Amino acid sequence: MKKSRNIADIGVPIFFIFLLLVLWELIVSWGKIPEWILPGPLQIMKTFGETLPRMLEHARSTMLECLLGFAAAIILAFIIAVVMDELPLVKKALYPLLITSQTVPIVSVAPLFIIWFGYGILPKILVVILVCFFPVVISLLGGLAAVDRDYLELFRSMGASRMAIFRMVKLPLSLPAFFSGLKISASYSVMGAVIGEWLGAKEGIGYYLTLSQRSYMVDRVFAAILAITILSLLIFAVIIAVERLVIPWHRLNEQHQ
Amino acid sequence: MPEIIVDGISKTLGGLLTLGKINIQANNQEFIGILGPSGCGKSTLFNIISGLLKPDAGRVLIDGKDFTGITGRVSYMHQKDLLLPSCSILDNTSIPLVLKGIPKQRARAMAAEHFEQFGLTGFKNYYPAQLSGGMRQRAALLRTYLFSSDIMLLDEPFASLDAITRRNMHIWLLDVLRELHPTILFITHDVEEALFLCGRVYVLSECPSEVRLEVEVPICRSESSRTITDPRYSQLRDEIMTALTI
Ligand SMILES: Nc1ncnc2c1ncn2[C@@H]1O[C@H](COP(=O)(O)OP(=O)(O)OP(=O)(O)O)[C@@H](O)[C@H]1O
Ligand SMILES: [Mg+2]
Repeated sequence: MKKSRNIADIGVPIFFIFLLLVLWELIVSWGKIPEWILPGPLQIMKTFGETLPRMLEHARSTMLECLLGFAAAIILAFIIAVVMDELPLVKKALYPLLITSQTVPIVSVAPLFIIWFGYGILPKILVVILVCFFPVVISLLGGLAAVDRDYLELFRSMGASRMAIFRMVKLPLSLPAFFSGLKISASYSVMGAVIGEWLGAKEGIGYYLTLSQRSYMVDRVFAAILAITILSLLIFAVIIAVERLVIPWHRLNEQHQ
Repeated sequence: MPEIIVDGISKTLGGLLTLGKINIQANNQEFIGILGPSGCGKSTLFNIISGLLKPDAGRVLIDGKDFTGITGRVSYMHQKDLLLPSCSILDNTSIPLVLKGIPKQRARAMAAEHFEQFGLTGFKNYYPAQLSGGMRQRAALLRTYLFSSDIMLLDEPFASLDAITRRNMHIWLLDVLRELHPTILFITHDVEEALFLCGRVYVLSECPSEVRLEVEVPICRSESSRTITDPRYSQLRDEIMTALTI
């Protein structure tokens, strides 16, 4: 019963995507749409296969920027969220700033990084940090604030220190929220690196994308998009695997509610 | 000898005088019931006795020493089980021992010794979400007991259980109390529960709450728990009901 539902959960979206692809292919071939405007999925798959070795080289530097930026964003977000939660004054001061910062479009700030830090890896990492930081900080803050006060009182009545309360109660109980933030960031992280590379780079998937676009090789653009999607999903899958390892109890709780 | 004296406690919460002037005494190994209308400040009173909250006036004396506003002397079980979903039952119950500085392995072993008595045998490595409501409540009771075994404050520990489970918990609790002898303060909404478990009952009035009635219960912990036919029972019940509904 449960198993068949799982298969349906995976099967339905896959079937739907397949249907869309077939439709796409049919439109392209019946409508005689030229390849340099819109290639069909089959052509894109072919190009993907042909250009895979080159893209893998570019993907290496993109992934490096992406992982470094993601890791830095997580560490930064964790520290800032914890400090904000422990010190209400800091939270009061920073929270509005955090929210407002999100109204500034990344693409408008990224060129500044290029001006300041050149065409190396650093500006790309900064863009990834900018993109990934916010979802993690906001989810973790929410998680920390949502911890039932009665838990805190109980532990205080047992004479627990502030540090012990953080370690035993606040941190574990806010981990599920932390991980949902991580999942959002994970899907943005590759995009962040690509935006960084777009604006000026010597290598990376984003750079490859710009090259292909300038020479009107639309099939390559699509192949690069496919590569970006796959990389993003890979990071997402890693986060889910880590989540299952770190908070195995969380799934139990969800089942019972 | 563990003995609590609540001496003229009063407390204003949110501009409203919640606890008028409360005097309560629990002698060694007594099982004291506290009844009162919802919102009259029973939980607040426990927060004060446990030291989480400072009263505006009055003192909390334990064994003759002033424990007003000092946490860590008595153990306190809330209305909710408050087990950490992130820890196994064994880890949850050994938390008070770990907080007292006992190494984790030893704390686990000490907690495990009580698992049979508390009806938790075989569930050491389960997460709270995998247990029934009654088991979770017993686990929370064990954690409370392991923190302070001589004075326990229980705030409606069985309120969230269904009637049958609750009845079984009563019988189980009385059974356990034949071997353990803590002094217990027990908040409840349920007059039957109070009469069944408690040796003495305080009835609080509405805000600003004061002790409206104090009665001895000569027939508590009767052997045949199913039907209490003692004529004093219905008389006591009426007396308490009247005090609660004025
Ligand atoms: N921190 C607070 N600030 C202001 N008012 C509060 C606070 N805590 C509790 N109160 C108020 O104090 C009164 C007593 O609350 P308390 O929780 O002690 O009642 P109770 O007798 O335990 O109720 P119940 O039987 O429903 O559990 C309530 O009217 C509540 O709204
Ligand atoms: Mg209450």
